[in-house]
Amino acid sequence: MMLFRKECGKIFCSLTYILYCLLVILMIISQYFIDSGQRLYPPSKGDYDYGEKIVEDHDLIMSTAADALTVEFLSNRYVCYPFGFYKAVHLDNEEQAKIEKYICEITGLDSTGIAEKKKSAEVCYITDGTHDYGEYAIRDMPISESMTYERFTDIMEDVDNILGGGSDYAVDGLVYQFSRVPMTYEDAVDDYNSIFNDDRVTNAYARLFGDYAGIVLAILPVFVAAALTAADRRRRMSELVYSRRSSSLRIVFTRFIALVTTMFIPVFVFMVIALIQILIRYNGSDIDMTAMFTLPTFWLLPNIMAATATGMLVTEILSAGAAILVQFVWWFMGLMAGGTAGLSGRIGKFTFICRHNALGNRNEFLMNWDNFVFNRVFYMVISIAAVLFTVGIYELKRGGSFNGIRLFGKGSIFRRKT
Amino acid sequence: MVSGCLARVVYSDVKHNFLIHYIVALGILLASPIFFSLSQLDCILAAQPLEVYVPLIGIVLMTPVFLPEQNESIYDVVRSKKFNHDIVCIIRLLCSVVIAAVMIGAYVLYMKHCNSQVTVRHFIGSSATAFLLGAIGFAFAGIGRNVIIGYMASVMYYILNFSFGTKLGYFYLFSMMHGSFAEKKWLLTGAFVLSTAVFPLRRVFRDR
Repeated sequence: MMLFRKECGKIFCSLTYILYCLLVILMIISQYFIDSGQRLYPPSKGDYDYGEKIVEDHDLIMSTAADALTVEFLSNRYVCYPFGFYKAVHLDNEEQAKIEKYICEITGLDSTGIAEKKKSAEVCYITDGTHDYGEYAIRDMPISESMTYERFTDIMEDVDNILGGGSDYAVDGLVYQFSRVPMTYEDAVDDYNSIFNDDRVTNAYARLFGDYAGIVLAILPVFVAAALTAADRRRRMSELVYSRRSSSLRIVFTRFIALVTTMFIPVFVFMVIALIQILIRYNGSDIDMTAMFTLPTFWLLPNIMAATATGMLVTEILSAGAAILVQFVWWFMGLMAGGTAGLSGRIGKFTFICRHNALGNRNEFLMNWDNFVFNRVFYMVISIAAVLFTVGIYELKRGGSFNGIRLFGKGSIFRRKT
Repeated sequence: MVSGCLARVVYSDVKHNFLIHYIVALGILLASPIFFSLSQLDCILAAQPLEVYVPLIGIVLMTPVFLPEQNESIYDVVRSKKFNHDIVCIIRLLCSVVIAAVMIGAYVLYMKHCNSQVTVRHFIGSSATAFLLGAIGFAFAGIGRNVIIGYMASVMYYILNFSFGTKLGYFYLFSMMHGSFAEKKWLLTGAFVLSTAVFPLRRVFRDR
């Protein structure tokens, strides 16, 4: 406990932690509190647009995906977003033949049948980058009677692989991509009512809170962790700490727990503020008093733990700069992948930054609830494993058999030995 | 005599301290085809990698200028030398700026070779974004006397651009993606002001 208090004291006084707090405050206020600024009111009848909903209809998915694939096949231009950024893929003849074979299998048509569809379709010429291409407006591709949804998903998986990933045909995104239908007024009322009846208000706001806070909490903790881990070496205190009687397990784990605890404090304060805001705004409604703490904690703690563990491990092995680089790459890829997934509940088994940028759409979030639980637990376990590995590295350093991989100074890997 | 001394400083710094940063910056650029399509892009699409991705090399190259002397005891030894430490840092900064400009130039030429509609404006715009991100890191690392603070500041400014977007006004990093080039002169000005203000501010904060 004494060691824990000392580590917490060191963290509270560090400039990186003060900056961390300021940035968390800035991001949560500017994103969550501005976005959730007004009380929700029921949808009014006669509005032009009530948004979209996912119906998970296999026939609809197969039909719209077959149309989309045929359109892209005929132009030989497949739009992909492998890491959230636009990439137009053009296939060679062999790969095009494979795609054609799959379209034939899905639709029950042959090459001539596809050619006839192309002939009868309206063409509109579109400029894509510096390239003009013709897009065929095909909306009525048939689906073979022998085609099952299981076989269809196998084909889609193969198509996505041929395209190099990140396409609309990725199996885990088919439902989100191809079975969206416009919401009716009744659907919008149901969605509104579910915020009050099923979510009891706070669950909906907790999801939005987790969504916004998760973005910064997947990167910021690495700076504080790397700074604290590197501080011993920087202040030439490493040898003094190594000579203490405390075990490496105790030192490293206490430091990890202190980092996670201190970095969770500003987040917890905002949870309290968010709950008070909801209580004032929805005075008289049935409000779940615990949801604003349980869901965001389960959502955000793995992000803090993973970024902290990465910071500690990579700093012990390499350097603080390398830890920041590793975490930045992970964060960047996670953020971009989350953006491509549509920001609304599409959470995979290994999604690092979980997104659900809406108060409503409860069903979309619950569709992936199992994935959400799996991935949050997975990142907690991985973080603890990384800290255990850090303990091993720390122990080796204490024993003098490993001194980290130095990039600068004496013994660096870039310094020529004489 | 002086030029020989400067050459030795540059050679020694590149060899012992900065080679790794140059390699990382080069690695970032070489990895870009994993994320982006670089061929047959019009001027708006071409701005995407040039504003969102390529400027990250500015953080990698410019932030660690003060890193070799971050340790106080090394800094004290360096300060005792005849050659002014600030001049060494300015030389390092200029080297980083030149390397960043050369790398971005080569990247733009490669995109041109891939039939993308890139112009000198893209080169200047991407460089300006890289210089501002780098200058933020350089300034915070210098004033905070800790390179991690520099990385933290520049990465956070980068994130803010995703969250706040055009609300950042003249200092919005990704303006070329929206067809505007006017912000770039402000980015260059900001980068210059930050880079030059660091040295007196470092002294002020050290004396306090």
